[in-house]
Amino acid sequence: MGLKRNVSLSTALRYKGQGPFLSYILHRIGGSALFIFFTLYILVLAGVDSVNAIFSNWVFQIILLVLGLFHAINGLRITILDLSPKLIEHYRQAITIEWVAYALVCGFAIFVVLQNVLGG
Amino acid sequence: METAKPRTLPLSKRGFNFETIMWIFTRITVIAMYGLILAGIVGALIVSAQTGANFADILYWAFFPNHTGNPIGAYIGMTFLAKLMVIAFVLVASGHGVHGVLEILDDYFTGAFARRWFRNIIIAYAIVANAIAIYVIWIS
Repeated sequence: MGLKRNVSLSTALRYKGQGPFLSYILHRIGGSALFIFFTLYILVLAGVDSVNAIFSNWVFQIILLVLGLFHAINGLRITILDLSPKLIEHYRQAITIEWVAYALVCGFAIFVVLQNVLGG
Repeated sequence: METAKPRTLPLSKRGFNFETIMWIFTRITVIAMYGLILAGIVGALIVSAQTGANFADILYWAFFPNHTGNPIGAYIGMTFLAKLMVIAFVLVASGHGVHGVLEILDDYFTGAFARRWFRNIIIAYAIVANAIAIYVIWIS
């Protein structure tokens, strides 16, 4: 089976999928970020101490939180819709709820990280 | 606004092939992760209240046992349970992640040769990573 996707990045970004497409792309980016995080975590367990400096960096922590929390919350929406197919009719509303939940959780997480950075 | 109609098929009509198995696997692992996260947070809060150990210290030790002392070392049963939970979490997270990464790679590398090798490499990676994680978490 072969797929040919000769679509440039700029074309892909202009795609009119709107909310659902944005969620799909961000889910993949978040998943990839978490996979990198998992690799770094294994390196720390394996005794590569220099990786610990990356974990301690607040910029890294915020990037990981922003991407990882989206992946987790979007994954929860996908799982709920998968397990309750009747709710698929309301998937756009589900995405709206997801964004509100994400904003609240992510905002709080970033606040905590910044509070620690600023010594609060 | 136009809304999508649900298009669902019972499992018996979907065909019980590799894709279906992996779909089920992905859902089961993600539900397991949500369950472990919830149980981990509640458990760490209970242990924190019972032992006086800091909640954050318990979680940090659970995931990085070779970098910090065990704050609940006097409680053998809790230590054993925490290690089992973290190992279970690492296993389901890596299983879920490996499948997700393969799915992304399959979308961008369509040749049979590339797909087969990515599959081999990433499965080998998962085995090695899990072996390191289980070993370090268990013996630390």
